[in-house]
Amino acid sequence: MILPTPKEKNQWEEEGYLVFENAIQGEDLKRLQTTFDYWADECKAEWLDRVEAGEAVATFYDIPNPLEKDPIFIDIIDYPSYYGALMEFTNHDLILLGPQVRTVAPWPVSYTGWHPDVGYDNPLHIKVQIYVNDVEPGGGEFGFVPGSHKPDSGPYARPMRQESMTGHKTFPGTAGTAIMFNSCGWHVSMDNHSDIPRKSIILIYEKRTPGRIGPGQYASISEYCQTPERRKLFSLDG
Amino acid sequence: MPRIDAHLHVFTKASAEFPREISDVWPAEREEPVEKLLGEMEKHQIDQAVLVQMAGTSIEQHRYLLRCLKEYPNRFLGIGLIPDGHPNPTEHMAQLTDDTGIIGFRLSTFGGPRDIFAKMDVREFAAYPIWKYAAERDYVLWLYPNAINAHLLPYLVQEFPQVRIVLNHLAVCPGKGKFSWDELGRPQIQVTGYNLTMHTTYRLARFENVNVHLSGQYAFSTEEFPYKDLAGWHRGLLSGFGSKRLMWATDFPWILENPGYGKLTTVIEELLPDLSDAELADIMGRNAKRILRFPDL
Repeated sequence: MILPTPKEKNQWEEEGYLVFENAIQGEDLKRLQTTFDYWADECKAEWLDRVEAGEAVATFYDIPNPLEKDPIFIDIIDYPSYYGALMEFTNHDLILLGPQVRTVAPWPVSYTGWHPDVGYDNPLHIKVQIYVNDVEPGGGEFGFVPGSHKPDSGPYARPMRQESMTGHKTFPGTAGTAIMFNSCGWHVSMDNHSDIPRKSIILIYEKRTPGRIGPGQYASISEYCQTPERRKLFSLDG
Repeated sequence: MPRIDAHLHVFTKASAEFPREISDVWPAEREEPVEKLLGEMEKHQIDQAVLVQMAGTSIEQHRYLLRCLKEYPNRFLGIGLIPDGHPNPTEHMAQLTDDTGIIGFRLSTFGGPRDIFAKMDVREFAAYPIWKYAAERDYVLWLYPNAINAHLLPYLVQEFPQVRIVLNHLAVCPGKGKFSWDELGRPQIQVTGYNLTMHTTYRLARFENVNVHLSGQYAFSTEEFPYKDLAGWHRGLLSGFGSKRLMWATDFPWILENPGYGKLTTVIEELLPDLSDAELADIMGRNAKRILRFPDL
């Protein structure tokens, strides 16, 4: 387990985010990309039918139940390059809430506006966004307002345009980059004016609170969770 | 301050003079005439309204709407329909807008790729000539997009920033097979608990020519009036579009029995209780007057 350096810990506390370049690389990255593309392709027709039926969002789609589709999607949940930081920041009491294996279409406007996910009274809530393909500036890259995770920051207003957010920073990156952020902070997907869909995986974690995730939630993948650490991460023992 | 009902329907009995489609909900002998509407408006201090064509798209089937507009030119503006696949839609549009009081047209499809990941060339959308003509003639486009068409909208809005657009009924995009009529003869649209339009039509707020109706609550809500389960949707639209681009409407006559016209004149106060008096006045009529250019009374 790679623990964060003092400098990284300080940035996490002060800014609310960390960037792990090349967090996933080599054969692991190739396997992730191949698996992502295979399942995204497999699931697309059904997603379009659900869009037509008014049951799914039209501007992006997630591969349903990815953990059950391929073990690579399980392996990235506790991937060494960022797992140590997750554990450190949650006092080694981390649970997975869920993964979003997401393809976002190029579109004249982003599919979402600036927002925090949770309030300041929520248990520490962390997301890790992993780019599966290269994400150029203007290609739907992640945006974050450093420091906005602090209760004494703000107030923040939702601007009409993504680029008008005060104090924001954008995070283009190469495939395999992972961006970890405190979900109390204001964040967004920037507009994608390219002709390349943004492929990324958003992993959602939280500091454990009793009963937050039931033991049945991830029971279907228990065969891949034989160590005590994984059983705890996936809340398999309640 | 004008109070304007920005979307409703009137129709008379089907006849040779006023031909129209018939259905179980609007059989030939049913009528919901303009005089009945005027009675409700009078009773509840509503000054003007937008009459939206229904039960037929042909020129002949617009006759009753045209008569109402001619008879009450200061009270009403009209929205027409265009037949699907019309070989010359601009001719149809021109015919209906020759000093008639019809100010625009209602659309629910745009004829572009079903798949958002496909290459988008807005000039190849089937509705492109309609939008182009609307831009040239300063028509309003009244939009109630099917769910599978929602992703096409920003391409058209970008191409024609001068066209005034009004998204109907909380900017919802109904899904295929999700429309029905309830026992009171009201349209019902089955929607998901998670508001999908946050990621499509709500995202059009950055385009200043896009406006939204606060209406149709009865069709989406799982509760009785005042439809508190939709308060978050209203707050989201207010936050995104601001109080200057929202318009209240009743969708008469479907609401006459439940909840009743009078109750619906208070639905905005119920769902957005923190509005200032000026904001409420904007939503209840001033925006419609400014955007749709209603005449002074």
